[in-house]
Amino acid sequence: MRVVVAEDSVLLREGLTQLLDRNGLEVVGSCESAEDLLLKVRSYAPDVAIIDIRLPPTHNDEGLRAALEIRAHHPSVGVLVLSQYVELGLAMKLLADSAEGAGYLLKDRISDVRDFIAAVERVGAGGSAVDPIIVSTLLSKRRSDDPLQELTPREREVLELMAEGRSNQGIADELVITLRSVEKYVSSIFTKLGLPSSGTDSRRVLAVLLYLRS
Amino acid sequence: MAGAAAVRLTLSNDGVDGLGTPNGLKVIVGWTFAGSGLYAWRRRPGNRLGPLMIAVGCTYLTAQILTQTHASPLFTWGVWLSDAWVVLFVLFLLAFPDGRLRGRFDFFVLGLFALMAFPLELAWLLFFETGGNPENALLVWANGSVAANVDSAQRALVATASIVLAAALTRRWLLASPPLRRALVPVLVGSAGILLGSVLVGLDKFQVEFETARWLVLAVYAAIPLAVLGVILRARLARSTVGDLLVDLPTEPSPVELRDGLARALGDPSLELAYWLPQFQSWADLDGRSVRPPTDERGRATTMIDRNGEHVAALIHDPALVDEPELLGAVSAAAGIAIENERLHVELRARLEELRGSRSRVIEAGQRERQRLERNLHDGAQQRLIALSLELSLLEEEFSAEAAARARLALARQEIATSLGELREVAQGIHPAVVSGHGLAVALEQLTARAPVPVRLAVEIDDRLPEAVEVAAYYLVSESLANVAKHANASSVTIVIDRREGRVVVEIVDDGIGGADTERGSGLRGLADRVEALGGRLRVWSPSGGGTRVMAEIPCASS
Repeated sequence: MRVVVAEDSVLLREGLTQLLDRNGLEVVGSCESAEDLLLKVRSYAPDVAIIDIRLPPTHNDEGLRAALEIRAHHPSVGVLVLSQYVELGLAMKLLADSAEGAGYLLKDRISDVRDFIAAVERVGAGGSAVDPIIVSTLLSKRRSDDPLQELTPREREVLELMAEGRSNQGIADELVITLRSVEKYVSSIFTKLGLPSSGTDSRRVLAVLLYLRS
Repeated sequence: MAGAAAVRLTLSNDGVDGLGTPNGLKVIVGWTFAGSGLYAWRRRPGNRLGPLMIAVGCTYLTAQILTQTHASPLFTWGVWLSDAWVVLFVLFLLAFPDGRLRGRFDFFVLGLFALMAFPLELAWLLFFETGGNPENALLVWANGSVAANVDSAQRALVATASIVLAAALTRRWLLASPPLRRALVPVLVGSAGILLGSVLVGLDKFQVEFETARWLVLAVYAAIPLAVLGVILRARLARSTVGDLLVDLPTEPSPVELRDGLARALGDPSLELAYWLPQFQSWADLDGRSVRPPTDERGRATTMIDRNGEHVAALIHDPALVDEPELLGAVSAAAGIAIENERLHVELRARLEELRGSRSRVIEAGQRERQRLERNLHDGAQQRLIALSLELSLLEEEFSAEAAARARLALARQEIATSLGELREVAQGIHPAVVSGHGLAVALEQLTARAPVPVRLAVEIDDRLPEAVEVAAYYLVSESLANVAKHANASSVTIVIDRREGRVVVEIVDDGIGGADTERGSGLRGLADRVEALGGRLRVWSPSGGGTRVMAEIPCASS
């Protein structure tokens, strides 16, 4: 899998490159500005771009704008946005149309190497990665007459992992249960929440996120 | 020229003397001009108009006297003066009211009349034969038809020039500011007189005579100096206007009332007031905002109002009022106390303005400092800790065979994660970077999702607002939601942010128990400071049992 990294801190850029390298991902380019990133995405056609949300010159929204531009013009390139604060509003902006090939994680997550590499690979393969903080924020959201109350604790766990973008296999591995029972939980969740069951994992992510956000 | 015509008519009529006849009226015209001129000169020694009027009057009188004599040179001189008089009269009309001509067009009009009065008149006199006693002293070759032709040319020229003059003066009057318009009344009368006179002279050529019209022309001429006198005397009458001003003004007039009252008394709607604030060593407008020192420029004139040798205020008015120093003086004196009073108010407003400015500067500086701190944390400590954590995890992989080492590394990494979490809280508390980075709507989503009760959020503004406004609105929502969590016992909250008439309105309404103490410990005081520093207003309604409504209005022009 080919990766481009955009991160303005040298320390982190080097660390990230090393980490990806060791885990069998090929870093085809790294840079510190959004402009360079777009250039590298065009030249190298990577599978995934890992982008710091705060990039020079203003460190405001350059990273996010670059990510949205890549999503609009290079749909085959997955976009994984990293940030030191994760914000629900930003997640919804990034995933506005689809969660396909898109990820938004707290920067701290890179030190959970196994999960992080899995997330990069998921996004690179057209899947999604949503930070657990976003998911828990959505789940903490108060609603009057909340159908989430009807979920069993196990179902809730499955819902969280599903919203993070994990596949059924991923969920099964995480919870150490069989694929079959994951499928059973998923269909039960969809029924309880009144959601139509949807095709791909990333479509499922967006459906769940939108449901939780409403 | 009207004079010459009159002479010519007199010559043919054997004019009758005595008051109540045209000739008697002419004496009155002459004397009123000279007399009014003397008075005007005394009242306004700096203005050339007085001497000019004396010259008009004297020339007119001399012409009348000389044309009655029987000595040929004096008579001829008189005939010529009775035309030259017109040039002086036109000069007077054009130079009214400040005694100066206004440009080439004025010189051109004057030139038309001069052409009639000097070269053509001389030419006429060379050929004109009176046929009696006294005889024309300049007569070279008596030729009635040449004289008649020159005379016709003169009459045509005067008719044309009179129309041009009347049009120019009417235009001047129409374009004038109200105070100047008032002063220009005599000129308007004068141009009417000249026009009437030239029509009369034209008709005389065709042997048509209007006795009444001749009287009328003379009456109009006599009226002009009286009108001038009226303009000058009106300044003396100004006292009554000033009286009105004093009666009209309330005991404590508002700045606008005072200005309007003064504008009415002076008859100048464009009047502006500027106050001298000694403590600021600067001039200020009615609202206490600093303005440039008033000067006589760009078609404005300034009159200083002094008290005890010090400037108090300045009237910035139409330059036409400079010719009415008595009026200005009387009005300034009458309004002195009110103005002095008003100045103190203006000074107070200036202080408030300054205070507001310094408060917003303090908050702005604080904001910048917080932003800088957050940025330093973000780019410094936070990045380093993440890099460190990453390094540890790479080490963990290298020590994958040694369980004890791995466990300790994992523990260390856990510690770093905790520190990062705490640091993140601190940094976000210092400055909500997401607001500056992505705007209010994006930033509020997280805030409201984390709220303890269901929140209906409506941000009706699509574009970005000034950062200070966005940050204030963010803190307002954040603080209000915290208050809802702590005190309100509410079941839902509605937040609306929109733009109304140049203001951003932030409104947070809950359906809780109300009774919030807005002064103590609620954190709302600090928010009010922030909002007020931006020129806005924060209001809180919290009736017991009726929920709490927080509303901030911050001035913010649409981009």
